[in-house]
Amino acid sequence: MTFLEPVADWIVGVYNFRIVALYADEFARGITNTLLAAGASLALSLILGTLLAALRLSSNRLLSALAEIYIQVIRSTPLLLQIYIVYFALPLLVPATARWPELWIGILALTLHTAPYMAEIIRSGIQSVARGQIEGALAVGMTFRQRAQHIVLPQAFANIMPALLGQTAILVKDTSLLSLITVFDLVAAGMLLNSERIKPNEGFLSVAVIYFAIYLLLLLASRFVERKLAGPAWNKATA
Amino acid sequence: MPATPAAIAEPVIQTRQVRKTFAAVGGHDRCVALAGVDLDVTQSEVVVIIGPSGSGKSTLLRTLNGLETVDSGTITVAGRKVTDQRTDLPALRADVGMVFQHFNLFLHKTALENVALPQRIVRGRSRSQAEEIAMSFLKRVGVDDRRDHYPSQLSGGQQQRVAIARALAMHPQVMLFDEATSALDPEMVGGILDLMRELASEGMTMAVVTHEMGFARDVADRVIFMDGGGIVEQGAPEELFDGARNARTRQFLSQIH
Ligand SMILES: Nc1ncnc2c1ncn2[C@@H]1O[C@H](COP(=O)(O)OP(=O)(O)OP(=O)(O)O)[C@@H](O)[C@H]1O
Ligand SMILES: [Mg+2]
Repeated sequence: MTFLEPVADWIVGVYNFRIVALYADEFARGITNTLLAAGASLALSLILGTLLAALRLSSNRLLSALAEIYIQVIRSTPLLLQIYIVYFALPLLVPATARWPELWIGILALTLHTAPYMAEIIRSGIQSVARGQIEGALAVGMTFRQRAQHIVLPQAFANIMPALLGQTAILVKDTSLLSLITVFDLVAAGMLLNSERIKPNEGFLSVAVIYFAIYLLLLLASRFVERKLAGPAWNKATA
Repeated sequence: MPATPAAIAEPVIQTRQVRKTFAAVGGHDRCVALAGVDLDVTQSEVVVIIGPSGSGKSTLLRTLNGLETVDSGTITVAGRKVTDQRTDLPALRADVGMVFQHFNLFLHKTALENVALPQRIVRGRSRSQAEEIAMSFLKRVGVDDRRDHYPSQLSGGQQQRVAIARALAMHPQVMLFDEATSALDPEMVGGILDLMRELASEGMTMAVVTHEMGFARDVADRVIFMDGGGIVEQGAPEELFDGARNARTRQFLSQIH
């Protein structure tokens, strides 16, 4: 066993998990805020994204054009700028938001930013549903709503699971920018550790590992959702 | 199917001067798909529609349940005026079974769910009731042992059986078949035709587009020959197959046989 000791010493020298343990509370707060920001923005941007996709596909030219303009404006400007605009300008426009916690402001900004990307993915998903599927639904007497709810959207979302996973991973990483408007997220927890102890590995490697773990959970979740939406044979059927 | 005398008197399907033009696509000209079609199908009648490719057979069937709009003319199906703007088309379609060449089963649903789902959401039946009815129809068409298979896990013949069960489980007043056997491997065709034959003998009102002349001869009460978007000639099978009066009909039949 003695030959392991130098190895153990080296590991503790490079990455002292005892120091990390001292910051367990901070990391817990950081994870909570990161997950809250990502989870809420994900849910809201999927809703807003579906709405935008529907507007883009609608036969009403004006609505479609408005949705398109919004999508292009968001895609052409930096996220950081969008966060600052919501953070500094929104309270001037809507005074009630001045009392909002920074996390809410962050969720709003991330939602407004992510929804257009989700919309373009969802639009391609809706267009990927075969015409025959819609005709089958029409022929048994389903209304527009019933077709959307039971046939088109489940297949569309099952088809775009990989792309949605990718966009969600970007969203999770984007939450790190919220530390710039004083949200205490995962990155902020890592920075705190590093600035107090000057231990960058303990601070930032831990954070990286946690981000990776979140991604793995998302990957599993996307497989689960796809299965729920379209059954176990879906990818084999469409691949 | 108990039919009141009034139901017998009134056609289940009635079209009058139905016209339909498709806008020009690509390099093609505007295309007249239906050029004033009058069609009556009475209760329990089996009408088989034949004709060359592009003659408007599919378009005619699809106008009957409003999958295709018409430019002019009137269509009444199962007591509802399809061509009236105010008609509740989903409600009409629920009463009209349609079987497609490519089955159009819901790819994300199992065989059982394909048959049960429309009953639940369109007819408002409970899940247990819908599944019970679904199982009885799957059994009837001979695929009850495949209830948990997805369409991708079924042969073409099995998929078409499920599609027929899905339509029948809605208890339609009329069934429309658009080349139901054309996409099937030859060894699957007979089974599907037998099923359709059985339905006909039970008194189902049917409009059938097919290239299966044997089926038309045996099962049809009336055969309709379409060409160029219009009905060229119609009559009892033996009349049409053995004594066609129109030159186009004779030419078409000589190419088929
Ligand atoms: N969606 C469409 N857009 C443009 N033209 C169409 C469309 N659907 C059908 N047509 C045209 O209308 C005509 C009638 O087509 P239809 O599909 O009814 O013929 P069909 O008798 O069913 O032929 P087939 O035996 O090949 O199925 C054809 O000339 C076809 O090209
Ligand atoms: Mg056709």
